[in-house]
Amino acid sequence: MSSLFEYDKDREAASAAKVRALEALLIKKGVLGSDSVDAVLRHFETVAGPFNGARIVARAWVDAEYKARLLEDTPKAIAELQFQGMTGAEGEHMKAVANSVTVHNLIICTLCSCYPWPVLGLPPYWYKDPVFRSRGVREPRAVLREFGVTIPEDKEVKVWDSSAQIRWFVIPERPAHSEHLNEEQLAALVTPEAMMGVALVPSPPPV
Amino acid sequence: MRLQHYLGGLENLGPVNFFEKKVFMAEWEKRIFGIHTVMMAESVHLDKSLPKYPLSEVPTTFKDTWTWASLRIGAESMQPFEYFKYRYYEKWLMGISQFFIDRGYVTAKELETLTEHYRAHPDSPLPEQPNPVLKEQVVRYLHHGDSGLRAPMDEVRFAVGDTVYVADPEAADHTRLPGFLRNKKGTVTEVYPGAFEYFVSTGPDGLDGPQHVYCVSFLASDIWGPDKSEPNTVIYADLFEDYLKPVHSM
Repeated sequence: MSSLFEYDKDREAASAAKVRALEALLIKKGVLGSDSVDAVLRHFETVAGPFNGARIVARAWVDAEYKARLLEDTPKAIAELQFQGMTGAEGEHMKAVANSVTVHNLIICTLCSCYPWPVLGLPPYWYKDPVFRSRGVREPRAVLREFGVTIPEDKEVKVWDSSAQIRWFVIPERPAHSEHLNEEQLAALVTPEAMMGVALVPSPPPV
Repeated sequence: MRLQHYLGGLENLGPVNFFEKKVFMAEWEKRIFGIHTVMMAESVHLDKSLPKYPLSEVPTTFKDTWTWASLRIGAESMQPFEYFKYRYYEKWLMGISQFFIDRGYVTAKELETLTEHYRAHPDSPLPEQPNPVLKEQVVRYLHHGDSGLRAPMDEVRFAVGDTVYVADPEAADHTRLPGFLRNKKGTVTEVYPGAFEYFVSTGPDGLDGPQHVYCVSFLASDIWGPDKSEPNTVIYADLFEDYLKPVHSM
């Protein structure tokens, strides 16, 4: 499958020229402004991104009552943190699910690529790849092993297929030996993959 | 059956490309993602959206409805083997360009000629024509979204704990019913308050106007059979009411 990304240069140059031509024509015809596409891209650098999710997870780790509220009413608990745009595009209806000693959660979109934009940003390539979308629902444990995560058989695996309005994300388990870290340091440990359920958050290096 | 609706469960695929964590595989992909998102932000259906977008005050020549469904219809009605030949945003570029040609915003010839120009001069600039009011609408849309939540018209048909069967509607160009769940037995785990609009009709598939949505759980063994499923595994999906049937109807 590694050859999947070996596209010939011509194919890439052709697409690059076509998308530039399309954008230029749409600007000329008044469908877009020359500043419209950049405004979209800036949003995902500054407002919507996994940096939000990581801070939400860290808050849930240090405050058990906040975590309970987050699982009970996700949008309301996120609103407490006063981030921008948290009910924006692809985050109109978000729900958090928590990993625990008895449950491991995995999010997927088998029909397309639904993803909670405000808290996780845009999905990485593998999430949109047909192979993940096919295998994630039939053999999630095997897929997780390929990601380096082995889930014991007595731990339940829950797979959340985003097929209607809800955009799911995962509160991973707080790593062992992280008691000395503050909320900001904890947030720095949380990866997008951990909030999708394909990675665990590793313990910080010993002090 | 439409292969694109049945990705869940396909076997023999080899490993996931999990090393590829990039969102965009090439710089040009950012531009088509941006074009699509601007189209969503200026779609004519937003004048009826929950946040009251002042769409009539936005200077744009775009006069169509453009939602996720528009993009998905394109991808799901592709020849299935073609679907797998192209990368994610390559399919977006094909679908969106064709939409603008089909709807008469640009001609195929114009696009071809200008593509040749940018092929020969990749660094030649885009026209400088900012649209600050449209930009404001794009930012507003990204911050406030487009919820499909509507007041329910009917009583809910199912309650938490009910056993349900998934319907098997006629295959259409587009669906929100994952194929692997058709005819399977599940349990309602949540009844979402309100009803949800999908903005477009999926025809014989069943979506048309606001419907209740349920979270339904399925034992992996009930879907794939005991030999092909992993132990202690449950799959949850959010399903529109028309995709569900009461157990006594089977």
